[in-house]
Amino acid sequence: MWLLLLTYSCLLIFTAGLLWRIYKYASLPVHLRWELYPVAHEIGKPYGGSYLEDEGWWRLPRKINLLGESTVFLREIFFFREYFHSNRRFWSFVYPFHLGLFLLVIWVIMLLAGSILTLNGLGVSATADNFWLQLVYFLTLVSGAAAFMLGTFGTIGLLVKRSIDEDLRNYTAPIDYFNLAGILLIFLTGLLFWILEDPSFSAAQGFIQGLITFKPAAIGPLITINILLSSLFLAYMPFTRMMHYVAKYFTYHKVRWDDEPNKPGSGLEKKLQALLDQPADWSAPHIQAGQSWVEQVKNNGIPDKTEK
Amino acid sequence: MKKKITLKDIGKLEGQMIDIQKAGLSSLPAPLDDPADEPGIKELTASQKVKFATSLDGVSAIGLIKPQTREEEEELVKKFLSGLKKLLSKENNWTFLQPLMLSLENCAKCQNCSDACPIYTESGRQEIYRPTYRAEVLRRIIRKYLKKEGRLLARFTGSDIDLNYTTIARLAELAYRCTLCRRCAQSCPIGVDNGLITHELRKLFSQEMGIAPKELHQLGTVQQLKVGSSTGTSPKALGSFIDFIEGEIEELTGKPVKLPVDKQGADILLLHNAGEFISWPENIEAFAIIFEAAGIDWTLSSKLVAYDAVNYGVWYDDVQLARIAARHARAAKDLNVKRMMVGECGHAHKAMLVISDRVLTGDLNIPRESAIPLLEDIVLNNKINLDSSRNNFTVTLHDPCNLVRLSGIVQPQRRILKKICPDFREMEPHGVDNYCCGGGSGFAIMDNANFADWRDAVSGRMKLKQILTTFHDVMGPEDHKYVCAPCSNCKGMIRGLLSRYDLTEKHNIRYGGLVELIVNAMVDIKKPFINWDEAE
Repeated sequence: MWLLLLTYSCLLIFTAGLLWRIYKYASLPVHLRWELYPVAHEIGKPYGGSYLEDEGWWRLPRKINLLGESTVFLREIFFFREYFHSNRRFWSFVYPFHLGLFLLVIWVIMLLAGSILTLNGLGVSATADNFWLQLVYFLTLVSGAAAFMLGTFGTIGLLVKRSIDEDLRNYTAPIDYFNLAGILLIFLTGLLFWILEDPSFSAAQGFIQGLITFKPAAIGPLITINILLSSLFLAYMPFTRMMHYVAKYFTYHKVRWDDEPNKPGSGLEKKLQALLDQPADWSAPHIQAGQSWVEQVKNNGIPDKTEK
Repeated sequence: MKKKITLKDIGKLEGQMIDIQKAGLSSLPAPLDDPADEPGIKELTASQKVKFATSLDGVSAIGLIKPQTREEEEELVKKFLSGLKKLLSKENNWTFLQPLMLSLENCAKCQNCSDACPIYTESGRQEIYRPTYRAEVLRRIIRKYLKKEGRLLARFTGSDIDLNYTTIARLAELAYRCTLCRRCAQSCPIGVDNGLITHELRKLFSQEMGIAPKELHQLGTVQQLKVGSSTGTSPKALGSFIDFIEGEIEELTGKPVKLPVDKQGADILLLHNAGEFISWPENIEAFAIIFEAAGIDWTLSSKLVAYDAVNYGVWYDDVQLARIAARHARAAKDLNVKRMMVGECGHAHKAMLVISDRVLTGDLNIPRESAIPLLEDIVLNNKINLDSSRNNFTVTLHDPCNLVRLSGIVQPQRRILKKICPDFREMEPHGVDNYCCGGGSGFAIMDNANFADWRDAVSGRMKLKQILTTFHDVMGPEDHKYVCAPCSNCKGMIRGLLSRYDLTEKHNIRYGGLVELIVNAMVDIKKPFINWDEAE
């Protein structure tokens, strides 16, 4: 029962931390444009062109290819193309590491699906009558096994690379090794419980059923350790830079690809006007402390108190 | 083997952190493959060493005067911390807070960006020039001094950097060892932008501490706001330049051409970098000739600030950026033009079309465009008579970062060149993957102490290599070679590179803008516009 309570608590902390992180970034004010080309939603300009290439662009209707944007984003997320092209050696560890994490999520989703089906009298197994029940069974098996194997390989590779490559080592703090070691333990104990205790992941599914029904299932020691570590790590994660997957949405969509023009009378212009009315309270001599941005702009910072 | 510089060294290492030696720089291709041809970086004089803070690399870009007392040093630390707090506040730094927070909190320190940085690679991979170095120092200072992690936690998270005068003096210089080209950001899978962190550091120094290179601040934005132009050109002097340019055009074309100034209700207010009036008046002449021939309804402004498209604020100070952007727009509003248009100036493109787009609201929110798409329309739709055989020399294009990677204006200039230059060839890499000329973010105009040597030897090295490689098979002086750089700052930088290595004199490589090539191909202009004899 204690494990169920711990898992619930950690899930709760993780969810709260995730939402807090999303809110933190999303609630930051709109910023000046700082896009970086290529911008993935531009149409017909795969070389990195923008609407500024079109004479009288402000008279033309603005067209955005959201599908293209999503494709580029998902391709980057799922294949790590940037690393693949620029740093293949690093990619050979960082990609299996992240693929292991993605598959881990898929595995949990499959376990959840299997648990719900089983609790409704539709047991998932290799010999189930229904094709879909068989599919859930095999997907659970494949995603779990692949997650643990790829994750273990990738994490060991990253740990070794960070330790022996001076360029990486000089920038790696103890916390970075700690985080990687934590993830390695999760993957490794997962690999061990799969091989030694639960080759069909039926015990793992039993634990998830227990979470749903609030009735703890009997599980082995290795899977217990794995669940314990995973839960604690989940609760710790939102307070680390391992949440960069949340940031990545914002860095791409809200900075790199944010080329939305400030059209007269638009909602964006109204937001900007409100921000410009705020005080810019900097102390350098050419800035009048306490004045709003609008007021600062009206004066020219002269007489310049910087003149020494 | 020399000991590798670490992050902690920034506040601890005694003396100068690194010394840039000629032998350590990356090697150049022929005909500059003899290391003896490398002039190197001249050492500071004894008095400069006493006066300036140069413990970073023996170079002084910003001319930071060493404090004389302990109190002065402590004051700098205090101001730095108060500036850092403001940099992270919604009120004072709404302009860049979201991208800054994202970049501060999410770097995986994978160093994927290092090889994207030409300053890092060409310097012989000097650790302090690595894109992550200054950014990581700042991250650790924030964790230690603003988040106030305890000693044990700080050691665990690696936030054990000492913030003292030495750290600040070195960070201030280090903020000017990056051209803000943002190739590093482009190579980051997470989208972390270490170039932005450099930009924000520069802002902290300028907006809170009043520390900025004099060429950008006192002689740059302050002078522009006060006198009218960062070149020091007053409205009266502008009149003389215009008279001179009109005279030149008449001599060339045989027809009197009046440059429209302060024409009410024109379609276009054209804004040139005022450096063109002084250093490259032929660029302004060429624009006037093309627009006259194509029947464009345009004007220049003689209003203070508005006859100079430059906006150095974009590199170091948001308040100065906004002040200048607003004055540009106000001039357009007063002239009641339909749109503003930027000539061949890269950073003015980024400042006016991209960054200031969210500064100009209400009646100042006037359409702003690049002149290059209009030129493309004129050339490709045969609105003027052109004969490409007049450009019978080898041409390559230098892509200003501000135009391509940072504004997305990539193909119009290429389509023009492909039409009017039979021997046009690309540099590699080019377009949005280009390398900075080395003079970006103000470097081209900065010349304190020995900084210009550092710039030409280090930050411009990759561009020099690209130029030499592109022209490798036509390097003889009998072959005319033209580097087209549609940006005043890039032209200034390339001028410096060509002169430093005698490439114009010995190998007949010259540089210039895009419009000069268009006019050179104009059938109606009898004399060649590009005068190779002058270059030779």
